[in-house]
Amino acid sequence: MSGLRLTNVTKSFGDFKAIDSIDLDVEEGEFITLLGPSGCGKTTTLRTIAGFHSPDNGEVYIKERLVNNIPPSRRNTGMCFQSYALFPHMTVYDNVRFGLRMRKIAQAEQRRRVTEALRMVELEQLVGRKPGELSGGQQQRVALARAIVIEPDLLLFDEPLSNLDAKLRESVRVEIRNLQKRLGITSIYVTHDQAEALVISDRVVIMNQGKIEQIGDPHWVYDHPKTSFVAGFIGLANIRQGTVQAEEAGTYRIKADFGEVYARVEGLRIGETVSFSFRPEDVVIAGSPGRNTIRGTVHQAIFMGNLTDLFVEFGGVIFRAQLAKGRAFKTGEPIELTIPEDAIRILDRGGTT
Amino acid sequence: MGYIIFFITAAVVVTLFQSVGLFSITGTSHFTLEPWKIVTSREVLDSLRFSLTMGVGSSVGTILVAFPMALYLRKPTPVKGAIGSIIKIPLFIPALVATFLIVNVISYDGLLNEALVFLHVLRKPARMLNDKGGIGVIIIQIWKNLPFVLLIVSASVAGIRDDTIDAAKNLGAGPFSVVRFVYIPLAMPGILVAMILMFIKAFGDYPITSIEGPIYPSSMAVRMYTTATLYQQWNQAAVIGVLIIVTTIFVVAGYSKLAGMVGQE
Repeated sequence: MSGLRLTNVTKSFGDFKAIDSIDLDVEEGEFITLLGPSGCGKTTTLRTIAGFHSPDNGEVYIKERLVNNIPPSRRNTGMCFQSYALFPHMTVYDNVRFGLRMRKIAQAEQRRRVTEALRMVELEQLVGRKPGELSGGQQQRVALARAIVIEPDLLLFDEPLSNLDAKLRESVRVEIRNLQKRLGITSIYVTHDQAEALVISDRVVIMNQGKIEQIGDPHWVYDHPKTSFVAGFIGLANIRQGTVQAEEAGTYRIKADFGEVYARVEGLRIGETVSFSFRPEDVVIAGSPGRNTIRGTVHQAIFMGNLTDLFVEFGGVIFRAQLAKGRAFKTGEPIELTIPEDAIRILDRGGTT
Repeated sequence: MGYIIFFITAAVVVTLFQSVGLFSITGTSHFTLEPWKIVTSREVLDSLRFSLTMGVGSSVGTILVAFPMALYLRKPTPVKGAIGSIIKIPLFIPALVATFLIVNVISYDGLLNEALVFLHVLRKPARMLNDKGGIGVIIIQIWKNLPFVLLIVSASVAGIRDDTIDAAKNLGAGPFSVVRFVYIPLAMPGILVAMILMFIKAFGDYPITSIEGPIYPSSMAVRMYTTATLYQQWNQAAVIGVLIIVTTIFVVAGYSKLAGMVGQE
């Protein structure tokens, strides 16, 4: 069964189109992340699912139920906000039981479920405290308990870890993911942090300027970016343009601005102009001269401990490579690098999966 | 510091002393509790009851009008600017002038009665001027003090974060529950300040109750004035003054306790 389905959803604010014809189908129990830069429409999408915005076009289905005209209070979603949004005048216990109280659950059942939810987030000992007496990480866990205690059809996370320090972010996101797996609740997570998205998601939805650029599991999206935006946003990428010259045995020769490069891809046309990319970590020191060997000059070498970030000048173009721990490099020294033919990805050819 | 303490406390201390026969303006000064006998008189008790009704009625009534307005004006609307300007008009009108203006509206053949009779809400005009219940006084107090109370309550309401409201809605709270469980408790400090200030103004009011209030019972302020100037009983007038101060303190404490209970749900 589908946990969430968006069909051609569009939302504008005045003349500004925040989200444009969004189609999304999320399986029940799946954890998907809406990832993109600020202003790409990911929070607008989340708030439209929650019911805080009404779509100008399209439909929103939660567990196959059309919810377009249903207010947020009756959609049975549990939301965690960036600022936690705890009720400052209520204790931890009253914050967590608030949703149960709105649903007129019996007192004994409220007590049981609140206790269980707080146990899951390991905050049973703080029931009497007010939010102002808690740390950021504790507040976010209370918010999580408050969202799950109502047994929602959907969990919605609006950049919940943005206000936490890096170390706490790492531990809390793992907690969130483990809890979600245990409970099996369909979850939609919004973040601009690509590392976070890749770590915790079943699938990632990359958004840009109100549209979906690509959807896929983290490995696939990282290894097979479909557009220049995705290639550049997820991880590091060298992105160039060229013209397809010839094809032989499943490999295409592409004439780029810096020279010729061979790509083991499918479906190109001779004479077609394409954008292509390859990851810096896929580039290797050339063992022996061959196809896709770049004979360049070290423009800059940054030693980062476990790897070296290398900027190489070749054919008037600066390429980026990341080489595993090895010898030191000097600026200006000649270097030969090889781009594996199967590491090249063709971009901007249409389709989002 | 001494100047501030003296300036603030001198009036209160002198009133207190006058109520026990000291610092007498007329006659000799000597300690006596004789003036305090009026506390048990029917006239003073009726005035106290009337003034309490005006104070509580005006403070509660103004909040009941101001709070929904503050909620409405919290979000930007096309008419927010115009409404904000109109609401401020009473600020520029002195209480005495406001009293006469409102009299035209709520008098026996004023605009309000004519409208209510025309719409068949009433069969004949209602008495809203100089009535024993002080309805006219409360209406004028609300009209005159609404902008002031709205300013305080609006600031309180504006300080409530949008995502706190969104969280309540997301968890199942309908509009009334959002108001009851989120807006009211979080705005309570502002509401309390506004109600206390409003009570003090209305409880101790003179100009509005002297013109629009009933002949009997008069308000505490009017009784104090007539006791002093008409009957030349300054010590007894001081007793009424002390009663006003003490009653105000007790009511303010009561409001604070009530606010604390509401804040804890």
